Amino acid sequence: MLRRVVAILVVLACAGVVVAYQVSRPARAPADPRVFVPSPKFFQDFSPSFRTSIADAYYLIMVQYYGEHVAGDGKLDSLPAMVDLVTTLSPHFTRAYLFGAFALIDAGRADVAYTVLQRGFKENPGDWHFPAYLGFFAYRYGEGETKNLVAAQWYEKAAAIPGSPDYLPRLAAALLAKGGEEEKAILMWGQAYLAGDKYARKKAVEGLERVLPKEKEARMRALAPLYETMPEADANALIAELFKAYVQ
Amino acid sequence: MNQIAAIAVNTFKETIRDRVLAVIVVFALIMIVGGLWLGSISLGEQGRMMKDFGLVAVTFFGLIVAVFVAAGLVHKEVEKRTVFVLFSKPVSRAAFITGKFIGLCGTMAAVLAGMGVFLFLLVWAVAGDASGMTLVAVLMIYVQLLAVMAVTIFFSTLGSAILASVLGICVYVAGQLSHNVLSLTRLGKNAVTEALSWVVYVIIPNFSAVDVKAGVVGEDTLAWGQVALWTGYLLAYVVVVLALAALVFRRKEF
Repeated sequence: MLRRVVAILVVLACAGVVVAYQVSRPARAPADPRVFVPSPKFFQDFSPSFRTSIADAYYLIMVQYYGEHVAGDGKLDSLPAMVDLVTTLSPHFTRAYLFGAFALIDAGRADVAYTVLQRGFKENPGDWHFPAYLGFFAYRYGEGETKNLVAAQWYEKAAAIPGSPDYLPRLAAALLAKGGEEEKAILMWGQAYLAGDKYARKKAVEGLERVLPKEKEARMRALAPLYETMPEADANALIAELFKAYVQ
Repeated sequence: MNQIAAIAVNTFKETIRDRVLAVIVVFALIMIVGGLWLGSISLGEQGRMMKDFGLVAVTFFGLIVAVFVAAGLVHKEVEKRTVFVLFSKPVSRAAFITGKFIGLCGTMAAVLAGMGVFLFLLVWAVAGDASGMTLVAVLMIYVQLLAVMAVTIFFSTLGSAILASVLGICVYVAGQLSHNVLSLTRLGKNAVTEALSWVVYVIIPNFSAVDVKAGVVGEDTLAWGQVALWTGYLLAYVVVVLALAALVFRRKEF
């Protein structure tokens, strides 16, 4: 009997040591913004049958890496390599391109984001999302006087793809119209909101907050054109977020 | 023929009695927890992630069952001395090996069907994605595992059960890398090593020729002719390996 009690106590003490050790560890190790990202070729050569699974695993790592660093030190040094790895291993993974492109903006690499979307369009010529977001990126991060024209051309390309939403030609037309840069910016941020993931939506709301008037009625008027260039449900959701502060 | 059927039925019952179907329960639990977790971190790609990782889990669990059960099949009979009772009757050794393999095919079919149907229903229920390609992919995994089982049974006629298990897993891994062996043959400047790598390339099963998982997640459009050819190749491979196993087993003295 005594031996059994002693044995149970020893086991419990050991379990206590195990739990205490783990609990006393820092909840999160200081994350290094530079992480090792293998070359896509390595996985293509050594595990072709598992390449999509590896791409999916790295997509999850990429989302976590972005979420961890964007809210922390803001350093996203390895993000371009991660986006490249995921989209090379899984060239038809639309979400990875779009998430990667928006995340690369926070890494200060709008040029890489644009290239990533171009590559995505090359791999998926039947998907209107790519030219549509290329239009947004050309307008928002492009330079020079021709940026509106370039963006409009992308929207026209997107509109020509079967199955694309009918508001794309209106966006192209709005960009080609003279003046009204604020209105154009509002329409473009509305497009960023449509990317769907929480990070892109947050970015769109922040972007709109910067260009929208503070006065309630003026803000409502400024947002009205969004209903012509976005699905109604998304426009409602976006406007609700932009009026959160106005609700008592 | 009756002898083979009798051995197959007994093998099926024996392996099922070993609770291999518990693998389906473990798989189901992992997938349910994993599915919910993936839903919260994949930014709307839950269906894709569940299908892709689910098929990896089906492969992994299927491989474990295939290799460890196949490795023990012949050895168990020898250790328990039941093989002597069997061979005192007019049962050929080839029939014994064939019957054992067919029985194990039934068990694997039950295990993979359980996991495959559960995965299909879970993805349908959680992500609203009811792609029949998931079931096709499970069928292709089954065909791959038949080749692994045949190879493991062959090794079990040569050596111990543990060695057969290890070699079975090695052959699976080598099969995934077979195209690299082909690259080696092209690299070689030496005619002997080139010929040797070519022989190795032909001997190890080619598991990487068709990527079914990529088809399931919409990455590749599967060429059905290629899939049929690949399936035919693997089934022919199974026949050859089983014939070799029967040949080795026939020469074995107890």
